[in-house]
Amino acid sequence: MHVSDQDLVLAADGELPARAAARVESHLAACWTCRVRQQEIEGAVGEFVRTYRRAFDARLPSSEGPRALLKAQLSQLGATQPAPWHRWFQSGLWRFSWVLLGAVACLAVAILLTSPSWFARQQVQAATMMIPDPALTPGATVFIGREEVCRASNTKNRTVPATLRRQVFEEYGIHPAQPLAYEVDYLITPALGGADDIHNLWPESYGSTMWNAAVKDALEDHLRELVCAGQLDLATAQQEIAANWIDAYKKYFHTDRPIQPVSRRMDR
Amino acid sequence: MKESSTPDITLALALADAEASHYSSSVEEELFVLFDEMREPLFRYLLSFSLVAADSEEVIQDTFLALFQHLRRGKPRQNLRGWLFRVAHNLALRKRRDDWKQMETFFSPVTLPPEEAVIDPAPNPEDQLAARQERTVLLAVVDALPEQDRRCLFLRAEGLRYREIAEVLEISVSSVSVSLGRSLARISRAAGR
Repeated sequence: MHVSDQDLVLAADGELPARAAARVESHLAACWTCRVRQQEIEGAVGEFVRTYRRAFDARLPSSEGPRALLKAQLSQLGATQPAPWHRWFQSGLWRFSWVLLGAVACLAVAILLTSPSWFARQQVQAATMMIPDPALTPGATVFIGREEVCRASNTKNRTVPATLRRQVFEEYGIHPAQPLAYEVDYLITPALGGADDIHNLWPESYGSTMWNAAVKDALEDHLRELVCAGQLDLATAQQEIAANWIDAYKKYFHTDRPIQPVSRRMDR
Repeated sequence: MKESSTPDITLALALADAEASHYSSSVEEELFVLFDEMREPLFRYLLSFSLVAADSEEVIQDTFLALFQHLRRGKPRQNLRGWLFRVAHNLALRKRRDDWKQMETFFSPVTLPPEEAVIDPAPNPEDQLAARQERTVLLAVVDALPEQDRRCLFLRAEGLRYREIAEVLEISVSSVSVSLGRSLARISRAAGR
């Protein structure tokens, strides 16, 4: 079994793994045929290299002109291009990067603030945090009187229909709807004659800690008691809760803060 | 705050500039060492692409400009020789593709120049004739090889290792060894005839 031409070339080029190279070497020591073949291949290499060099070396121009040209191009390149980033970091200039960071941050804030869609969204979110957007949710009532409101059957446990909830999220630009972050709540509770109407619904954030839905519940209960006790006009109660329920809370509970920390209402 | 930091920044900028220019000059030195060493091998290789001398010169300039950027960006420095061949190879391919005038030579694989153009220093006319005939045969054999086999031969003739050739041509190392084995077997058969 003789060594293949390819292995002879690989062996001569020192590209065989050590063990295979040793095998080829010991075979060559024993086998004249393969040794001659190897010489033929070496001869072919010599022939090729001679012809190749002879063909092209005569056509190689002097390197002086191209060298000067490259030098000129490099100095132009070096003059027009700033130091690369990694040099900038190595230079210690990065220590002043807070200047750059500050500038970038200012720019980012400026862009965000001047971006109308972002601003509008922030306004919406600020509003939905505690009180609704009066343009979108002015409040709406059904035509019922005090007697009906105060009937025992009129409870607060009303769920907002799913289609209406979707519409409210859409109206407030919350895409997609985030039922886990917001509760679609009645501005004027049905217990006080509020209507199942999109103008009476808004996405109330669960994230609000102080003036949250539980606090509003307390106000609603208190106002209903006042209305049913004849101490407060129903229409006034409706108007005050619709105008700004937080102001109403402060007014009727005589406080600037919710009276007691109440856990988030989840059972409505 | 502002009063104290501004001169510091100016100083740091000046230092960075000085360092950068010093760095550039050391990169340039390194680059010209490679230029002096590698220009001829690259030139021969580009001529083997059927590029005319002017185009080869242009490709070499572009290759070393690319090397300058490569070094300045602190990219890996090992095997820059292989890197140079790879860039030159790709630029040559692009040049050949782009240049409509080169289309004819692209389709006819004349990689070595006609024998007449070569000045033969052999003194004896008979030897001269024999040598010329031998070379003519070899040229014909090389020209008849597939493009990839020719590229492997030329790169190997410039001293690239198999792994380097594989990187330049974007083929496997085993393809390189198969190719070289096949080509040299053909050449040796032709020479032995």
